[in-house]
Amino acid sequence: MHIPDGILPAQICLGGYALTGLTTWFSLKQINRCANPLEGVPRAALLTAAFFAASLLRIPLPPASVHFVLNGMLGVVLGYYAFPAILVGLGLQAIMFGHGGLSTYGVNAVIMGIPALVAAALFRSRDRLFPAQAQTRWLTGSFAFMAGASGVGLAALVFYSLVIFNLPADLNAQAEQAALTTLLVAHVPLMLLEGAFTALLVLFLEKVKPELLNLRRNTHSL
Amino acid sequence: MKLDLDAYIARRSPIHTWETRCKLIGCMTLILAFACVQQLWLLPIMVMITVIFYSFSRLPLSFLQHRLRYPGLFLVGIVGLVPFVSGQTVLWQWHSITVYQEGVAAAVLMTTRFFSILTVALILVGTTPFLSLLQALRSLGLSPILADMTMLTYRYLYDIIANLATMRTAMQLRGSTYLLPSGQRQPWGARLRHFAALLGTLLIRSYEQSERVYKAMRLRGYGQLAAQPQTLRSPIPLSSWLALALTSAIALSLISAEFWRSFV
Repeated sequence: MHIPDGILPAQICLGGYALTGLTTWFSLKQINRCANPLEGVPRAALLTAAFFAASLLRIPLPPASVHFVLNGMLGVVLGYYAFPAILVGLGLQAIMFGHGGLSTYGVNAVIMGIPALVAAALFRSRDRLFPAQAQTRWLTGSFAFMAGASGVGLAALVFYSLVIFNLPADLNAQAEQAALTTLLVAHVPLMLLEGAFTALLVLFLEKVKPELLNLRRNTHSL
Repeated sequence: MKLDLDAYIARRSPIHTWETRCKLIGCMTLILAFACVQQLWLLPIMVMITVIFYSFSRLPLSFLQHRLRYPGLFLVGIVGLVPFVSGQTVLWQWHSITVYQEGVAAAVLMTTRFFSILTVALILVGTTPFLSLLQALRSLGLSPILADMTMLTYRYLYDIIANLATMRTAMQLRGSTYLLPSGQRQPWGARLRHFAALLGTLLIRSYEQSERVYKAMRLRGYGQLAAQPQTLRSPIPLSSWLALALTSAIALSLISAEFWRSFV
């Protein structure tokens, strides 16, 4: 879900950089509010590398194989570190593999990063809405599912909107709307799959290493 | 997976010797100018600038071909449809298949922009060591948190990818495959659970490793202001300033030509 170089006009690329700068500033401001902001850096970096490696894996689901986006999961685990982590991951992907591009770096960071922050807030709302003793595995799984599915869903919505509405030659408005709806409906199975996978992963971590899910409480809560 | 970007950084060329901060600003300005281009008549000029720039870098053509392959396929996926769905002037028609003139023009524009931007980006990363690029970004105001995260992610990425490969092999050797003993495929749920356990274990290992890394970094003085010489402090040679001025002038000329023709 990365937009390559050359597709978008310069105004959108610059807008993407501006929005990315603003969101990065906001995320870093929140990170700097904790007692020792540098403490979370190695954790965020190594977990970014782990997510990066995992996103390269394809799991066979006939008739095709899929690889997960994992931006929702990144938000769940890293909280405010998720946006800088995605920025770093996208930068390395652009440099190392040519996924995305330097002109669309800001736009791609918005596509992947802002849904990650939304997913993080969604998952964290569980703590606000339900007391600790009422938090069952089903509840945790449901919130993780919503976080994972919304991460991909929002990213797909922004991605296709940007691509379709910014094609240089005019599509007619109805064709644009039909294409956007079709592409988004086609992503519903992927959203469900990513949501289910995020739920399974969160439940696994809650059972084996719960402090990993509480990383953000140790740094700063969304 | 091997990073082949560093393969040509030891070569000698005017672009290799260009000071990193100037090179970074110059290349990004040129990329921005290329992204601004909307007029078809500017495309040959843009390609010519790109070709001259690439020849100055003395990078082999095979490097460009290799690096263009994957993103090129992705571009074809997006741009390939445009001539058939975008525009009003019919260029060619066969049964229900119609090719539109505006769509073809848009596809040519996007493909040429893609080629030029990606080539300049490759020149930047192919002629500069990754660490120097990071130091230059740090000198230009990149947050230390982002710089440290980038460096550590890059440092441990290969370890973690190797870890993941080992864990997958171990899982398969223990009999966890996507096939049941009867030869039938495992249900989706079971496959997802396996994959979740694999990734979960990888995250836990990485988390534990990060704890050890942080302690080791603290012992070496991480977080002390005096111990962070991560920026480039050397003076910029005149030749690098001149090269930056030339690149900026080319970029500005392209942008001016684009806007001048738009208003005329």
